[in-house]
Amino acid sequence: MKILVAVKQVAALDEDFEIRADGRDVEADFLIRDLNEWDDFSLEEAVKIKEAAAEPVEVVAVSVGPEEVDESLRKCLAKGADRAVRIWDAAVEGSDSIAIARILAAAARREAPNLLFAGVQSSDQSFASTGIAVAGLLGWPHAAVVSALSYSPGAKSAVLRRELEGGLLHEIEIQCPAVLTIQLGINTPRYASLRSIKQAAAKPIEVLSLADVGLNAGDVGEAGSLSRVRRMYIPERGRAQLIEGDAAAQAARLAEIIREFTGGSV
Amino acid sequence: MSIPVSRTDAVTRILFEAFGKAEVRLFYLIGYAAIAVFFYGAYVQVRKYRRGAALKLEGGLWKRLGDMLSAVLSHRTIERRDRGAGGAHRLIFYGFMLLFAGTATITLQYDILEPLFGIRFWYGEFYLVFSLVLDVAGVALIAGLVYMMYRRGWMRLPKLDYARPDRVPGDPDFDRPQYRREDWAFLWILLIIGVTGYVLEAARLVWLQDRADVWDTRWWSPVGAAVAEALSALGLSAHAGGVLRHGLWWFHGLIALVLIALIPFTKVKHIFTAAASLMVRDPLAAQRLPRVPESQAEAGAAKITDFNWKQLLNLDACTKCGRCHEACPARAVGAPLSPRDVILSLREFAKATLESGVVPEAAELDIHGKAPGQVAMETLWSCRTCMACVEICPVAVEHVPIIVQMRRKLVEDGAMDPLLTKTLQTIHKTGNSFGESKRKRGSWSKALPFPVKDARKEPVDVLWFVGDYASFDPRNQKVSQLFATLLREAGVDFGILYDGESNAGNDVRRVGEEGLYEVLATANVSALSSASFKSIVTTDPHSFNTIRNEYPDFGGKYQIQHYTTLLKQSFAEGRLRVANPLKYRVTFHDPCHLGRFNKGYEAPRELLALLGCELVEMGRCRANSFCCGAGGGRIWVPDPVGTEKPAQNRIKEAAAIPGLEVYVVSCPKDLTMFEDAVKTTGNEGKFVVKELIELVREATVARNVEAVTA
Repeated sequence: MKILVAVKQVAALDEDFEIRADGRDVEADFLIRDLNEWDDFSLEEAVKIKEAAAEPVEVVAVSVGPEEVDESLRKCLAKGADRAVRIWDAAVEGSDSIAIARILAAAARREAPNLLFAGVQSSDQSFASTGIAVAGLLGWPHAAVVSALSYSPGAKSAVLRRELEGGLLHEIEIQCPAVLTIQLGINTPRYASLRSIKQAAAKPIEVLSLADVGLNAGDVGEAGSLSRVRRMYIPERGRAQLIEGDAAAQAARLAEIIREFTGGSV
Repeated sequence: MSIPVSRTDAVTRILFEAFGKAEVRLFYLIGYAAIAVFFYGAYVQVRKYRRGAALKLEGGLWKRLGDMLSAVLSHRTIERRDRGAGGAHRLIFYGFMLLFAGTATITLQYDILEPLFGIRFWYGEFYLVFSLVLDVAGVALIAGLVYMMYRRGWMRLPKLDYARPDRVPGDPDFDRPQYRREDWAFLWILLIIGVTGYVLEAARLVWLQDRADVWDTRWWSPVGAAVAEALSALGLSAHAGGVLRHGLWWFHGLIALVLIALIPFTKVKHIFTAAASLMVRDPLAAQRLPRVPESQAEAGAAKITDFNWKQLLNLDACTKCGRCHEACPARAVGAPLSPRDVILSLREFAKATLESGVVPEAAELDIHGKAPGQVAMETLWSCRTCMACVEICPVAVEHVPIIVQMRRKLVEDGAMDPLLTKTLQTIHKTGNSFGESKRKRGSWSKALPFPVKDARKEPVDVLWFVGDYASFDPRNQKVSQLFATLLREAGVDFGILYDGESNAGNDVRRVGEEGLYEVLATANVSALSSASFKSIVTTDPHSFNTIRNEYPDFGGKYQIQHYTTLLKQSFAEGRLRVANPLKYRVTFHDPCHLGRFNKGYEAPRELLALLGCELVEMGRCRANSFCCGAGGGRIWVPDPVGTEKPAQNRIKEAAAIPGLEVYVVSCPKDLTMFEDAVKTTGNEGKFVVKELIELVREATVARNVEAVTA
């Protein structure tokens, strides 16, 4: 019994960042790296299943990225993943979510898990498509934005809940193997103490090349992608203005603005 | 009336006179049995301690012995904040020790020196003087005991109430009546031994009133003699005296032997455990927390055997005196923590698990939880590591490392407030608790009309370790700007580390996140080693403590001072001058980490005097200063709504000072905590909270200069 958890090391903006010279991303120096918030929850969900199981369950964290991603993988190992797999090749640079999904799907074929978890989305790019694309490439059933899950290891299917608009809940039974994208709040992710992260250095992180997962350079990067980033930029400031003065002056100015917008009908 | 001195050397202590051989043998048999039981009990106790983790003590044995004897003989630790109990205990201690020494010397001569070597000294004037001394010692013992009974029975001291703040009435270990029974039994047994000793002595005198060597020297035992006169007056005959003496002799002897046998099994063992605990005392117990060796699998204390032998000994040293219970700020505001009860719980746990022949399975040694003997996580997280308990403990129990080691286990398990989890993650990610960009650490200095040197780029005399609060908190940034201005005016060549500085880690370590502390300490030590400076100054007592006491364990040994001593020097050397004496009526709050932790009591007070302020002390000051509630990482976790916060409790104390104008603090966290507390206690407008730096600035700026700049 195995659960594969696809995780991503995301970037957060530091103060006063600068855009890269090619205008398509933020200069790397201004990014603070961390494990994607959604992945904390999907990993926790996998570890909870493992801890509650009577039979042995293996939790494997998988990520696509360069060496620095090991830091996030070690965090996963510290939180209870049994091993980690990182796939990287210089050719992967410039991949869109579909190309990344192609790599993850190849890794999933190699690992043959009963369930594959991914976060609903990543906090930096917010495509919310990688997990679902993996399911598509594998031809597995999938469920997105899962907010509750019940699965006993070895069972042929899992039962899950999704929150729909208008306060509706969707309960779904899904055949395994399946891909689930996990929503925030499904559980309370545990704290990985620095010591446990350090000790996790003893657990293996397997580094694979494209060839190891049966892909070649043409399957990834811009060549293997269906979309490309044209530019990244800070939009022009909107028309917000601060109304100053005491309460009476502010109210008078506000009334004036409202009259301007409504053409004096108020 | 003159006291006749016997001319004969024959006078001596009457021991087994009129006892048959069999009776004497029986007594020896019981005596040996009592001693055997004592040694067995002592063995069980020592075995219990040895089941704890290993620990190698620093420092020489003779120094430790000397310190212990000095504390025990002077009773200075027992006398603190309770002169009555200290005085009474001194009477009991010296009374008991003299009486015990007297009995022991009798044994020494009668059973060892005389039969083996023919040496006799228990005769003549030596005996008479000793008998006088012992008679006085008995009075001291009884007087001390009677006071202690009065204290327990009638004074109703809250600190002697065993009701626990971390349990509710009805819990099996809520107020532990067995402790109360034991306290009283101990007092009564000692009192009975003391009183029967006198009656026994008197009966012997009446019985042997015809023997000149006994009767003529009776006033060398004045109390016994007086009782004897009284008994005679009441009509006790010599024969009846003999019968009474015989009976009381056995009663007195048996009860004393029972007491000896029971020492290792009852609170009486504090005679040994308290002395031993004082001997293994760590003067930096709370200031410098223990490192976790790389090889150790678990960071924290999960099982009772994770404590070292010294800590297990600490548990048994506790005499339930309640001084820590009284001093604890968490307990004072009704949080579910009393340091006393943490110690007593663990002691009960150790007794239940480690005194049996074999150590139980690991699962039965788990000290975390809500069962009797276990400590709940709410209790551990209530602690502010303010050191009030460790500081006042008369027998050197070191509560803070015990609590932090247990917290380390909670941190490993993630059993903590989500806000704390978030803060720790933030500190790991950004190096500060505010979640601000590292780059912004020195931004506060941009508002100054002069540049602040980057100590990483150019050498400075004084490196200012600014700390998180003084760097990022807007209110404290103003203080930082003033301090930079003061340093410049005093002509101090100083610089800061800018984004090279990380959170110092003092509070992270006290939360129990040892791994993160190691990361922070290592990062700071490496940043400091890349800078060139002569000494460090810090405006933050928390940073001050960890850099001073804990960084040496990480290879960082520096000369460091708190800003109060640096400013004091600047005044002394004439580099700062008071241009505008302040006539404020002020009170001063000793920060835990400056005062109790590092004994920096004087410099802030001397500064206040220099500035012309009238200092009115609060009742709880200096070593007994009352924590603002922010320590031990509690500044990152709000106190429960609807309960009093320690800072509010403190502000109410200050508010009772008539005409108070300024509540002076010298710690950034204090500024934050107390400004809030002044508002929430409705004292806004009555007095203000100010950093000492602000007062120094105000006093050194001449009025006309102020007018120009304003």
